Amino acid sequence: MTGIKTTRRQAVAMLLGATALAAGGLPARAEDLAASSGETVYFRGWQFRTDVVQGNVDRYNSEMGGNVDYATVTGDYPSIMEKTLIAKGDLDVLYANPSSAVRYMGGGWVKPASELPNGQEIADAMYPNIREAWSVDGKLLGLSYFVTTRGAMLVNMKAVEKAGMTAADLPTTWDEFYDAVYKMHEAGIENPFLPHWFAEYFGVSWGFVFEVMNRGGQVADPETHAPVLTADGPAGDTLRAWKKLWKSGIIPEEVLSYNEAGYIDAFRSGRYAFSPQQLYDIKTFNDPAQSADIAGSVTLLSAEKQSWGLIDSALYVMTNRKRSAALESDVEKFVSWYGYKDQDGTFAVANRWLEENMLFSAYKPVMESDAARDSVSKSLMKPEDYDTVLDVYASAPYPKSIWNVVWSEEFNFWLRDKLFEFLQNDLAPEDVIDAANAEMERLNKRYNI
Amino acid sequence: MPSLPQTAGADPAAAAAAARPPRRKELSNLQFALVVTVPVLLFLLVVVAYPLGYALYLSFHEIRFFGGYSAEFVGLANYKAALADPKFWRSLGLSLRFTVETVVLTIGIGLALALVLRDLKPRWRWLRAMIILPWAVSPYGAGIFFAYFGRGQTGIGTALISAFGFDGTLNLITQAAVIEYLALGAAWNMAPLVAFFLLANMLTTPKRLYDLAKIDRMRSYETFWHVTLPPLRFTLFVFTCISTVLALKTFDYIFTETQGGPGNSSTVLTYLLYQISFVNLDLGYGAAMSFFLLALILGTTGLIYALWGRREERK
Repeated sequence: MTGIKTTRRQAVAMLLGATALAAGGLPARAEDLAASSGETVYFRGWQFRTDVVQGNVDRYNSEMGGNVDYATVTGDYPSIMEKTLIAKGDLDVLYANPSSAVRYMGGGWVKPASELPNGQEIADAMYPNIREAWSVDGKLLGLSYFVTTRGAMLVNMKAVEKAGMTAADLPTTWDEFYDAVYKMHEAGIENPFLPHWFAEYFGVSWGFVFEVMNRGGQVADPETHAPVLTADGPAGDTLRAWKKLWKSGIIPEEVLSYNEAGYIDAFRSGRYAFSPQQLYDIKTFNDPAQSADIAGSVTLLSAEKQSWGLIDSALYVMTNRKRSAALESDVEKFVSWYGYKDQDGTFAVANRWLEENMLFSAYKPVMESDAARDSVSKSLMKPEDYDTVLDVYASAPYPKSIWNVVWSEEFNFWLRDKLFEFLQNDLAPEDVIDAANAEMERLNKRYNI
Repeated sequence: MPSLPQTAGADPAAAAAAARPPRRKELSNLQFALVVTVPVLLFLLVVVAYPLGYALYLSFHEIRFFGGYSAEFVGLANYKAALADPKFWRSLGLSLRFTVETVVLTIGIGLALALVLRDLKPRWRWLRAMIILPWAVSPYGAGIFFAYFGRGQTGIGTALISAFGFDGTLNLITQAAVIEYLALGAAWNMAPLVAFFLLANMLTTPKRLYDLAKIDRMRSYETFWHVTLPPLRFTLFVFTCISTVLALKTFDYIFTETQGGPGNSSTVLTYLLYQISFVNLDLGYGAAMSFFLLALILGTTGLIYALWGRREERK
């Protein structure tokens, strides 16, 4: 087995090397990426596989003579980072979701990736749709950390079969989906559905946004950011479906106070049949070591008739605090090594994320490699799901209208509270839609948009 | 027996008085308090004055960070907006509810614990040291602990009902009861400290008072009311004030336990302030609202002092 693994790895490395040469020219020379200032580069991120990140940073420090200080930030990540940026604190490279990155750019606190010496090469290696999503005024905000689909509708087939349904009965649209949920409940499944209604900043509000977009709607105009929600359109349909679901008592109230870990644990427990989850977590759910109750039985709904979820992604962003010229150069070298290619010309960090956690990348050479197929395939319940995963990934929309605008985070928190109020205080869907449109108008006015 | 030499013709009493060292006037309570606290107050003034002054400045301005930093003077507009904001009044109500419940539970549990600890037999007295442990837990840690403890999926409620053979979950973090659950957790965190101080007070009460109570054939609640409680009253007053202030400004514990939820059922004033100032970056409005919180804290403690503290002082 070891011999086969080694051979395969070698083949993948050769393939990646060849692809990299074809896509991005010659690999960078080691001395081009070696740190030289001796000063500390501060790198901060949220808590996710810190062992992997630390391992990558250690490798850079050891092989490139770097002095990168990596630490994680707990709590409300976007707000904490925003305060650090405003205070011009010790921060050089950070994780950011595109909506946050847009806001940071609006505040003038970050330096676009386009300004890297190899900025154009990096941009060219990305899928055009992702590059566009991550650009403001033609400037690329950062380098690819991951791209995935949040809200891919995962299915626990054990629970589905318990309700007397088969794979052929699985729904293909949101309306069919809700019908299936009620049918399953009637068939004796107490909690058929774990909705995306948890309390994180990417919880209930994102759940609303992706359902509206999956139903063919928009929250605002992608260019002008003017509100376009209507009560008789997808937004109204979404809220009416939510109201019915909440009133049916199928959804435990505690979902509203889950953090992300609680939300993942809940689906992992096997109590639920369906849940919109992060696409890459299908690997976690099908891993017996991590999800003993459902491993090997988690599949996903087809994107043949409509999309599921939205494009969720994160970037490595550089700050523009005052630094010495030597440190500035070190920051650029580190972010290029970490977020693009290492000294061997390999997408080492991106490949490792794909291998370890099924985190997709914005870079074509990474995603179109055999290694990507291998990594994804072994995380799935059945081989046919590979194509479904790619379909779901490819069809997921990006809410540019409310994410590529400076008020994105503010509106997101406002929406989160309003949606909770809608559920708990029994507001009318029309009132929520009117209020959401009014809030977007207020924010546009406030920021002169 | 040798005698002290005396001056012929002098008044012995006056001579004795002259021989004594000059008597200094004793400091009054107020003077003593000032001597002890003025240096600290001066230090605090320096440390607090700047941020407080800056917050006041912010509260009269609309602060913008995007499109370049700017601060536009808006007078009392932020204060007026806060008073007209239904979210402010709702959060204020939740803060008061949380505070009253936390204080009652903290003092009640602290007093009960102190009574139990006082009467422990010698071989169980090591428990007096153990009981302080919850207080050593940070509010952040307590929040995470109680979040898991209260959820239906991972919590004690579900464990209990399944121990009795019921299949299902029991969620304690609900819209209806989340404030009470939060108050219970906050009291769990603070009550051991109250218990320790009350216990120290109780142990100074002379045993003969209890013997006299027995001679008078007092019942146990009468003994508690007339013998145990009176020396504790000032400590209880102090901890009521401390608990009130702590409860009104609690943030990290609520942030980690419920994130203001479920939904916004536990969005107390501090959490709302956090959202306004640190999420929305509306620093002027947030600063104005924070002065209402400050006024609430000062007003509440002042009221407690006026109704209770002055009476205790007189005693």
